[in-house]
Amino acid sequence: MTHLDKLQCLKDRAHMLKQARSFFDSLQVLEVDCPIITIGAPVDAHIDLISVNYQNHEKRYMHSSPEYGMKRLIAEGMGDIYQLSHVFRDGEYGTKHNPEFTMAEWYRLGFTLQQLIQETVEFIQLFLGQIPSRLLSYRQALMHYAGIDYTQMDVDGLFYYIQTHSIPFYPSIKEEGKDALLNLILGTVVEPQLGQDELFILAYYPASQAALAKKRWHDNEEVAERFEIYYQGIELANGYHELTNSQEQRQRFLEANVLRQALGKHSLPLDEFFLNALQKGLPDCCGVAVGFDRLMMLRHQATSLAQVIAWDWSQA
Amino acid sequence: MAQASTNEIKPGMKVEIEGSPYTIIINEFVKPGKGQAINRIKMKHLLSGRVLERTYKSGDKIDLADVSESQMRLLYKESEGYVFMDEKTFEQLVISNESVGETGQWMLDDHLYEIIFYNGEPVNVEAPTFMEMKIIETSPGARGDTASGRVMKPAVLESGAKIQVPIFIEQDEKIKVDTRTGEYVSRVN
Repeated sequence: MTHLDKLQCLKDRAHMLKQARSFFDSLQVLEVDCPIITIGAPVDAHIDLISVNYQNHEKRYMHSSPEYGMKRLIAEGMGDIYQLSHVFRDGEYGTKHNPEFTMAEWYRLGFTLQQLIQETVEFIQLFLGQIPSRLLSYRQALMHYAGIDYTQMDVDGLFYYIQTHSIPFYPSIKEEGKDALLNLILGTVVEPQLGQDELFILAYYPASQAALAKKRWHDNEEVAERFEIYYQGIELANGYHELTNSQEQRQRFLEANVLRQALGKHSLPLDEFFLNALQKGLPDCCGVAVGFDRLMMLRHQATSLAQVIAWDWSQA
Repeated sequence: MAQASTNEIKPGMKVEIEGSPYTIIINEFVKPGKGQAINRIKMKHLLSGRVLERTYKSGDKIDLADVSESQMRLLYKESEGYVFMDEKTFEQLVISNESVGETGQWMLDDHLYEIIFYNGEPVNVEAPTFMEMKIIETSPGARGDTASGRVMKPAVLESGAKIQVPIFIEQDEKIKVDTRTGEYVSRVN
């Protein structure tokens, strides 16, 4: 482990927070400050939330991203906005995770996914310098790094791949279906290889992994207009061409809750303020969330997030 | 049986997998994109040293092994095994040659060893990381040998371990050895 002077790191962090703000200033993207604790919950099958009790009887949720609040503001006519915010995720703790972390999230009206990818690369380069970038679709990346075409494979085929490649798996994974199997292959085989000396953009996810992204057809494959950016095997950004249809959004929340229950988790209350805002009309936009602490970790060649934040979860 | 969540598993903890005890080496939390979080856990079999890698869904429970350690003094060796004494209770315990295994080469009377108990039974003995002992057998170092690039020579220690020592070390000298690797560390004066 490299020795890092913590105070020097934190001084540089202050400098980079300022740099991030001037980056958005120069693009005329406005800073907003949406609430961290909300009545409705961000609903995602695989993101668990930390809740709080208001006056010992009202359960509220610490946000896992400022997304819903920001989209409400956009629906109200706020225009291009960003938020630099602490966000919270239950159980996510390791060398590259801390249950409380800092996220830079922004939305651009009328942008294409390509334009937002370009802007996100520029933002990341503020921290890491002028490294080149490369884009592969999710399908291409799995072909290139794992040697499989996922569109041609079913659950049995993927499970066979995992077994024959000696990838350790957990017992229930096959019942959890295709996305769970793809997720294991992505996490253990593909991700560690991504972005060794370039920013790697993984784009056009399977439609079944759309989250809050629009879906569309691409080369006879239904894909989500979603991208992630990796550097040195570490995931830095997650962006979408945002879903604006409130009915489809409600449907995806319900599906996520069904999946949560199948995984033995509680279902979560939907954010009706957010769904109403979509119903009133969210302008066509693209948005992205970037892990600020991870950028600082890579910038300082640190081996864990704990080295670049004031105190990690065990010391906070 | 006591259990711990994958989120609580830390290096050094002892777990039980399919009836065998393992020591955790590393627990890596992995969460690709928006997918299921997993823990990739590497562990070492407490007796055989074999390394096992397992993947768990984050939050799954793992059985904890009933493993304890205590320091005991080696009194003497007898045919079936080694006789140790608990320093506090003065109780004596015979540990079989089989349980002692390869650690047998580092056994010296009147030294303290770490005894590992699994379900109350002694299953393993760990030697101190560094031990000082006498060389009972080695060939005299010839001056010219360094020129030919040969700087180490074989030696037998009083515990029976066979190691490599620098050629300037003579028989009956005392040296310090790293029992994990069997490497010579230094001369002891």
